Amino acid sequence: MFKYILKRIGISILILLGVSLILYTLLRCMPTDFVKQRIIALNANSQDGVSEEFIQQMYKTYGLDGTILQGYFNWLGNVCRLDFGKSFTNQREVLTEVFDPDKLGTSFLIAAIATVFEFLIAIPLGITAATHQYSIRDYVVTVLVLIGVSLPSFFFGQMLKDIFANKLGWLPPSGTGDKTQTLVGLAAVNDYIRHMILPILTVVILSIGSRMRMTRTNMLEVLNSDYIRTARAKGLKEGKVIYKHAFRNTMIPLVTSLAGLIPSLFSGAMITETVFDLPGIGKYALDAMTTGNIPVIMTYNMFLAFLSVVGVLLADLMYAVVDPRVKLA
Amino acid sequence: MGVFDFLKKNKTEKEKNISSHYLSGKEVREIAKANMAEMRRLEKAKNRKAPKSEYVTEMKDDGNILEIEDLNTYFFTDQGVVKAVNGVSFNIPLNSTVGVVGESGCGKSVTSMSVMRLIQGPSGQIVSGSIRFKAYDFKTDANGKYIPVYEKDEHGNVITEKVLDKEGNVKLDKEGNPVTRPVQKKTESGLGVYEKEETVYDIAKMPIREMYRLRGRQMSMVFQEPMTSLNPVFTIGNQLDEVTLLHVPGATKAIAKKRSIEMLNMVGIAMPERVYASYPHELSGGMRQRVMIAMALAGEPRLIIADEPTTALDVTIQAQILDLFNDLKKRINGSILLITHDLGVIAEMADYVVVMYAGRIIEQGTASEIFHNPCHPYTQGLQKSKPTMKSNSDKLFNIPGNVPNPINMPSHCYFKERCSKCIKECSGDYPCMVQVSPTHFVACHLYNPKEK
Repeated sequence: MFKYILKRIGISILILLGVSLILYTLLRCMPTDFVKQRIIALNANSQDGVSEEFIQQMYKTYGLDGTILQGYFNWLGNVCRLDFGKSFTNQREVLTEVFDPDKLGTSFLIAAIATVFEFLIAIPLGITAATHQYSIRDYVVTVLVLIGVSLPSFFFGQMLKDIFANKLGWLPPSGTGDKTQTLVGLAAVNDYIRHMILPILTVVILSIGSRMRMTRTNMLEVLNSDYIRTARAKGLKEGKVIYKHAFRNTMIPLVTSLAGLIPSLFSGAMITETVFDLPGIGKYALDAMTTGNIPVIMTYNMFLAFLSVVGVLLADLMYAVVDPRVKLA
Repeated sequence: MGVFDFLKKNKTEKEKNISSHYLSGKEVREIAKANMAEMRRLEKAKNRKAPKSEYVTEMKDDGNILEIEDLNTYFFTDQGVVKAVNGVSFNIPLNSTVGVVGESGCGKSVTSMSVMRLIQGPSGQIVSGSIRFKAYDFKTDANGKYIPVYEKDEHGNVITEKVLDKEGNVKLDKEGNPVTRPVQKKTESGLGVYEKEETVYDIAKMPIREMYRLRGRQMSMVFQEPMTSLNPVFTIGNQLDEVTLLHVPGATKAIAKKRSIEMLNMVGIAMPERVYASYPHELSGGMRQRVMIAMALAGEPRLIIADEPTTALDVTIQAQILDLFNDLKKRINGSILLITHDLGVIAEMADYVVVMYAGRIIEQGTASEIFHNPCHPYTQGLQKSKPTMKSNSDKLFNIPGNVPNPINMPSHCYFKERCSKCIKECSGDYPCMVQVSPTHFVACHLYNPKEK
């Protein structure tokens, strides 16, 4: 077991190196890099234009003058010394920028709460849909959930905002807090929660669909298996058959989805954050992408890659826990 | 050109063949609509709540433990209704083994699943008929609690004992007299004995939620697939204990474990403690089948349904398992419904044999009657297709043709197209049961005295 984990960690490091090389290459190949954007902005402001010398100077300062490989190894060397570079736009340390509790915290809070609700709603819905297959209950759940999964987040978020914030005025439309007044104690917490409701609702409704479908499919497959028939033949009541014998088996594939869950907790909901104007990491990364802010995107994406690798490893270890047939070696 | 002509002709014939099985979208929708209505109605009846009086009946013959009468179990598919069990009637007498034989898809398994009410809904449903089963279950008082049996002295008076409190002193009531309670009879393993009574249930009419009264405790089933019939994520012990905890009143985890290990020992497992702690995938097929049998016995049922219990096993294991069943029948003093397509197994085990073909019983009688005097051409064919050491022929006999399409069964005898002894009457109605001897019945026009 310990040997297995060590081996997996070794492989993970190789994977991360590969990911970083591909990422860096792609970022350097973007048509308008950060310097070009700056030059365009400068050109628009001054009549004489910018000298070629100045442009070269700028490329040098931002470390974009060499070839892609040179730039990559430069970045890698710095990372090995735990120097992730400075943000191009405001020259602050990337680590403090990306791991800002305001940004990452907001995104994490939304994702974590949304995930909890997603599981709490989707799994029971999937189970009822499966145990009442082809009944009206099954159809209603399936159709509603499919509507949820097919709605684009920018549209659905905007719609919720329009109904609950603009028309009904029950909830604030955007931001994380009321800027017009300073609140302290419980009032501040209450205000924060009120601001979070709509974004969380958007994320939950959009994500329930796939998880519910997955639970339903797994459950149906398990319910048709021979050992469920055996459990019924023993004289177990239906509840025990489903929640003891079928549920453990349904959980096995769900555990794999944990691998995708861990990075998604920190990746931020880009579009939802933009719609509700939240200072989340998703929105920040999107801005960094459009400005060609290479150190920020590299750090952010490598963080997610790291979490994905950890997630996959955890999912494999969890597999061995929930399914006795799986032996790690 | 000739080659191409042949291909062309071949193709058109194929197309014709396909088109006879092909249903237009409209037809499929009509069938689905009709099925939906029927399935909803039956599913509703299955899930209804009903008073006990609705499904408690009387046996026709008190010597039977199970009486199946005109059972119809259908599957509602999008191509049409499949009558998997079509008017089947037979009885299982107390302390006997009844074998059901027939080829794959003849409805043997569906019959047994109907008895256990394990038909997978909503497409599979018991449409009509009755399955009367004599249960020997715990008597309950008005509160639904089991009535204990008390220890009695030689005069028939109930023995009482003094109730002790936590410190071991005799408890006293308000007037200072010691509190007494009747002593409950105990079994060897220290479990309380409760009063039992015989009740006859009509399983086909029982709401599905009441079936837990019968499954496991009154009748249990050994399935044909030992490899997939055990839950892969629980240990053998966990799955075995469950049965004891469910069906033995007052059983604790420790008692259940002791009993499970006893059961494993009884079915001939060499290291019961080790098997108790292992997972199903760590055992071989024969071991798993033994575990399944142990599980079926743990609730001490009076009827065991064995659905091809030896099909997945090799011959040496098969012999051991069959011996085990024969032993068990004596030990539990119950009956066995043995479903198989192996005539050898039937010959070794069964007292009575029921031969099924395409969802109907075509012949039934005692084992010796079926083996020494098979009447139906199908039964005769089955016997001939059994390999023997005596025959010199290189080829094994087989009954020509196939079972007719289960949707749209013909109105004449289902075996007519494959039968070598067809007579004029065979094109007429489906033959009714003809009595050949007091216990021997056959559904064939050849034996109908009126038609001879």
